[in-house]
Amino acid sequence: MPHETTLIVLLVLLSAALVGVLVARPGITETRGGKILAFLALFFLPILCGAMGLSSEMDRSKTTAFCLSCHTMEAYGKSLHIDDPGHIPAAHFQNHRVPPTEACYTCHEDYAMFGTLKVKLHGLRHVYVYYFGTPPAPEDIKLYQPFNNRECLHCHLGARSFEQGAVHTADPATLPAVKSNQLSCMSSGCHEVVHDIPNLKTAKFWKESQ
Amino acid sequence: MTARANSMAKRIQVAGILLIAGLLIEALCLLGARPISFVIFVAAGGLFLFAGVVVFLFSLVSARPVSD
Repeated sequence: MPHETTLIVLLVLLSAALVGVLVARPGITETRGGKILAFLALFFLPILCGAMGLSSEMDRSKTTAFCLSCHTMEAYGKSLHIDDPGHIPAAHFQNHRVPPTEACYTCHEDYAMFGTLKVKLHGLRHVYVYYFGTPPAPEDIKLYQPFNNRECLHCHLGARSFEQGAVHTADPATLPAVKSNQLSCMSSGCHEVVHDIPNLKTAKFWKESQ
Repeated sequence: MTARANSMAKRIQVAGILLIAGLLIEALCLLGARPISFVIFVAAGGLFLFAGVVVFLFSLVSARPVSD
């Protein structure tokens, strides 16, 4: 557990203890000091704890470990270790083109206004289906919408390898089409191999050195 | 203790119990690292904290001023 989370838990427990004092001895709120204590324990500290806790939970919900903690996602986690440079998620994960600790979130975030909120709402739906519904088989999981090039261009736009890549510049119409999302980065013949869950059993895996 | 102080004390106790429940839920959820912890943190913990703060604020605004 990160140190900041430990500190937040301690603050939450301290706040609960202070609230407990007021519950046991509500009469102390009749004094000026008691009123200040009541304001701190019953208003300020709970809001502070809630905000800090929410921030910590939001940060944790972006981690690769968090996404892969559901059994359904295990295959997707394995696909990050496929030993094939043409395999887009694996190449990004293994070469740290995305932060390895936030690999899922970095590519699957919606880089638009309220994008984080949108993906978290999707996440709540996933949790609901996982616990109360019938989760689909990993190979049957589909994106809500086709992958938007905006998510790739968030990092690649302006990069030399993207702007001046031989294949990207061979046809002058290619780059404008990619930038306007009319031509998907994952089009056939381009970066089409993504998680490739159906072929996971036959894939060769990279072993991360310790 | 006057009736006014008694009623306020009861409201403070109700607010406190709601807040303790919310805070304990949040502490437990912070210790867990699974998606269900996140959902319980936001839904149950958030609800109890919100209710506790609202009851506390209500106890302040509903307190009648002391007449001289």
